[in-house]
This record gives sequence, structure tokens and C-alpha cells, in this order.
Amino acid sequence: MRVVIAEDNALLREGMVLLLTSVGHEVAAVAATGPEVLPALLEHRPDVAVLDVRMPPGFRDEGLRAALAARRQIPDLPVLVLSQYVEETYAAELLSGGAGGVGYLLKDRVGRVDEFLDALERVAAGGTALDPEVVTELLTRRADDPLDALTPREREVLHLMAEGRDNATIATTLVISDRAVSKHIGNVFLKLGLPPTDSGHRRVLAVLAYLNKG
Amino acid sequence: MSTPRPTSMRQALDWADRASMQLLMGAGMALLSYVFIGVLIFTAVASVIVIGLGVLPETVLMLRRMAGFKRRQVGRWSGTAIPEAYTPLTGTLVERVRKAVKDPGTYRDLRWLFVHIVYGLALLYVALPLWVIGVLVDGVWCGLLGRRAVVLPLLGRLADLDTRWSRALLKPSPEAERNAELAERVEELTVTRAGAVAAHGAELRRIERDLHDGTQARLVALSMRVGLARRAYDKDVTDPEAIRRLLADAQGQAEEALTELRHVVRGIHPPILTDRGLVGAVRALAASSGLEVAVRDDGVEDGPRAPAAVEAAAYFVVAEALTNAAKHSGARRATVELTRRAAGLRISVRDEGRGGADESGGSGLLGMRRRVAALDGTMDVASPTGGPTEIGVELPCVW
Repeated sequence: MRVVIAEDNALLREGMVLLLTSVGHEVAAVAATGPEVLPALLEHRPDVAVLDVRMPPGFRDEGLRAALAARRQIPDLPVLVLSQYVEETYAAELLSGGAGGVGYLLKDRVGRVDEFLDALERVAAGGTALDPEVVTELLTRRADDPLDALTPREREVLHLMAEGRDNATIATTLVISDRAVSKHIGNVFLKLGLPPTDSGHRRVLAVLAYLNKG
Repeated sequence: MSTPRPTSMRQALDWADRASMQLLMGAGMALLSYVFIGVLIFTAVASVIVIGLGVLPETVLMLRRMAGFKRRQVGRWSGTAIPEAYTPLTGTLVERVRKAVKDPGTYRDLRWLFVHIVYGLALLYVALPLWVIGVLVDGVWCGLLGRRAVVLPLLGRLADLDTRWSRALLKPSPEAERNAELAERVEELTVTRAGAVAAHGAELRRIERDLHDGTQARLVALSMRVGLARRAYDKDVTDPEAIRRLLADAQGQAEEALTELRHVVRGIHPPILTDRGLVGAVRALAASSGLEVAVRDDGVEDGPRAPAAVEAAAYFVVAEALTNAAKHSGARRATVELTRRAAGLRISVRDEGRGGADESGGSGLLGMRRRVAALDGTMDVASPTGGPTEIGVELPCVW
């Protein structure tokens, strides 16, 4: 895959380039400041962009804004946004377009190399990868809502589904059969009053839209 | 100094009575002042031989108290008290002596003290024969013939004279008045700054403890595991499973350290405040609260931002209030208002829940109050049983 990286910290940037090239990806360009990001994306049209939220010159949310701007110009451009901390609002903004190919992870997750590469590929393929911490935030802090009707197992399934995992991964993670996963997912959709959707990315978006509603 | 014209004999007598009391008090004070000269001489002598210097500020304070009494007494007679302006005698003994000696008010008071002994007594001496003449003349003129009293009102004039002279002698110079105001302000600022410094110190200690007990300890544990893995690798690789376990442990420690660091950072200054400003950050809080929250911004987003500490405290207050509302109040809706005021930032969080929030119940209210107090702010909680709950916070700041 061809990747564009936007990261201002030289240590992390080099680490990321090393990691990606070592597994056979091609780093088409690196951007070290906010204003460089959008031109680099438009010029190289990568298979996936890995962006840091906070970049110079303002050290605010330049990377996120660049991601949103890029997706307005290239609607199906897959972006994986990395951040030192996760904020539910940012996830909502990234997902608000309704299109797939969005990832939003804590920088810490890069350390779990295999999982990180898996997320990157999922995003590049038009799927989603949401940090478990974001999902946890989405699933808590609400009073008397239909989520309370879910069994603990169904909650776990919903959690993984919201992260963007496919059925097979959910089955492996929870050590249950594919059939059981499908059954749990069916129950979750029923209890939350969501129309049954085919498996895949649209399902995740439906779940996230539901959770984001607040 | 308006002396109403007494018309009847009864009124004339009442008036003369009041004036005489005033003059009598003046004379009493004059006698007291006479005695006080003894104290002054003692203080002067004690100060000259240095050891007695400690008495000096006390003597000046006594002098001030006497002058203060006269000021109030004049106020009672004329309706307007004489303003007071002294340098506060605070600090070490040497400072207090210096301030007492340097204060021009001290010398004004002394001047008044001596002059007052003369006119305080003199006015009473004039008043005594006036009474005798007044009762005789006005008794006939006013009491019997029904004319206007002429002699007794003169007693009121004497009290007026006392007022005028005392005012001239005791009124502080405009400069002294301004100095006293400034001194008072400095005193106030010293106290609030001490509070702010203490709060800041406590905050630093908390951060230090969090980093020391949490993150630092984790990194040490992580380094140890990596060290062990290396040692195992160097010595014998017969047990790759053990090495793998050590490395997995190490990675786990690194992740924990990162999680803890994120919490510490959030506690110091939530990153979203930097990214989006207070209003944006509060909107993010509202969106993730699980409630339907209306955020109203009255001029906070436009114009200069509040100091970082104020924004962080405001964010903390809103976060806690919304968490409480979502957890305990049973409300579905809430309103957050942020208002820019000249003197600072006002935050109001209101939910339509069942109320009855109890500060002693281990809720976040106490923590909120502490954080607000550390910035010299105020917090009001209104939460009657049956709701609604409204929390109002004022954080003073310069915009």
C-alpha cells in the first residue's frame, strides 16, 4: 500500500516509516506540519493516510481538520487518525460524512504492531477502526437507555462491532462460534431497534450512528 | 451643619440638651487627652532609651482609637462622620514602629489632641453660663411670651463650632486617604495571592505524586522486564516462551504508563481545551454526556480567552455537573450557560432531574467547590427535592 504520513514528532515519524516499510508498505510522503498535509494528500492520493491530530504551527487539531478537508475533496480517501488522547467529538466528526475508510486510534496502539497493521488495512479497505476507549465512552454515561437491556455478552459483541471488527475477529476474540456471533448481533440490532443490515461496514456505521445520537 | 430652629421652649430645651451632651463628651475627651499626655511622655522616654520602642505602635493605636471616637461623635452630631485614613500597622515590630512614625495621620492626631484639650474644655466653660442665662431669658421670652428662643440655641452653635474645628484637624489629607486605600488593596491582594500560591503548590504536589507513584514506577518495572528479557536472551535461549512473556509484560507496562500519563495530562489541562477553546470543549462534553444538552455561550467564544487555570476549572465543573446529572438526577435534558462578565466567567449548569443533590453524599460537589475556591471563585448549588438542580459558579479573571 502507498501511505502518506503526517506526524510532527521526528521520533514517531521515523518509527512509523520504519514500521510500515518493514512490512512492505510504501511511504509516498511525510508531512511534518499542518499546512503540508493537504497538498501531500492531493498530490500523492495514497491508499491510506496516517495523520496525527495535533500538528504545528498551532498545535491544536490541524491534522484532524486536514483529514476532514481532504475527505471533502477526495470523498473515499481512507484516513487513520492517531492521537495522544481520544475525544468522542472527533470520532463523531470523522464519521459524520457517512462514508467508510475511517480510523481513529490512540497513538499507544501502534505498539501492538499486528493489531495496528490490521486496523490500517481495514481502513484502507473502506472499513472502520475505532479505539476501544472511544467505544467505551460511547457505551457509558447514559441513563435508562436500551443498552441496559443487552446481556454482558451482547455488550462485548457490540463493543467489538463498534471498533470495526468483522464477525470472524469477534468470534476469535471472544472464543465463540461464528454462528453465535451472528445470533448476538441479531439480538443487539433487535434490542436497539435498528433495521437489520448486511454485515460489513454499513452495519458499523448504523451502530455508531445510534451510539452517537447521545 | 444645619441646626434646626427650635420653635417651642420644649424643643429648645431638648436641642440645648443634646448640644450640651456633645460638649460634655468633648470636655470629657479633653480631660482624657490630658491624662493621655502622660502616656505620650512615657512612650517618648521609653522610645529614646530604645528598649521601650515596642510601646510606640500601641500608643499610636490608642491615639487612633481616641481620634476615631471623636470622628464618630462628630458624625453623630452633624450627620457625616470624618473619614479615617491610616497606614495599617502590620509586620514585624520594626516595620510597625516605622509605619507608625512615618504615617502623617499620627501627627495630625497629635495636633488635634493638644488643640482639642483647649477647645474641648473652653467650649464647655462657655456653655455653662449660657445655660443659666438661657433658662432665665428664654424661660420668659419663649416659655411665657411665646417668642422664638434666642440664647439656648447658641449651645447648638457651640457644638457646631466643635464639629467644624474637629473636622479641620482630623480630616486626612487627600493623599493620605488615597494611600490608605492603596494599602488596604495591597493587603487584600497579598492574602489572595498567598491563597493562589498555596493552591498552585498543592496542585504541583498532586501532579508530582501522580507521576512519581504511577508513571515513573511503571517505567522502572518496564525497564526491569526488558533487562531480564535481554539477560535471558544473552544467557540461554532455551526458553523462548519465558522471554516472550517478559516482553509481553513489558509492553503491558508501557501501555499502562501511557494510560496513566493521559490521565495526569487530562487532570492538569484537558487537551481539548487547547484544541477547541472552552466553548468547543464544553460542547464536546455535552455531546458525550448521554444527555440532551443545550450549550449557550454568552460572549465567551468571541474575544480574548480566559486564563488556562480558569478554563480548566470551568471545564472540570461542567464535566462533573453533567456526569452527576447523567448518573444521579434521572434528567434527560440539561442546559449549560457560559457568560463573559467584566469581573470574570460565569458558568451555570441546570438539569431537569429530581434534585436533592447532597454535598456530603460523596458526590463530586465537594471537589468542584475546592477547585473553584482555589481560584477565588464562588459556587452556589440549588437542588430542592423534586428538582431542578442548578449549579452556578463564578470564576474571577482578567480577560
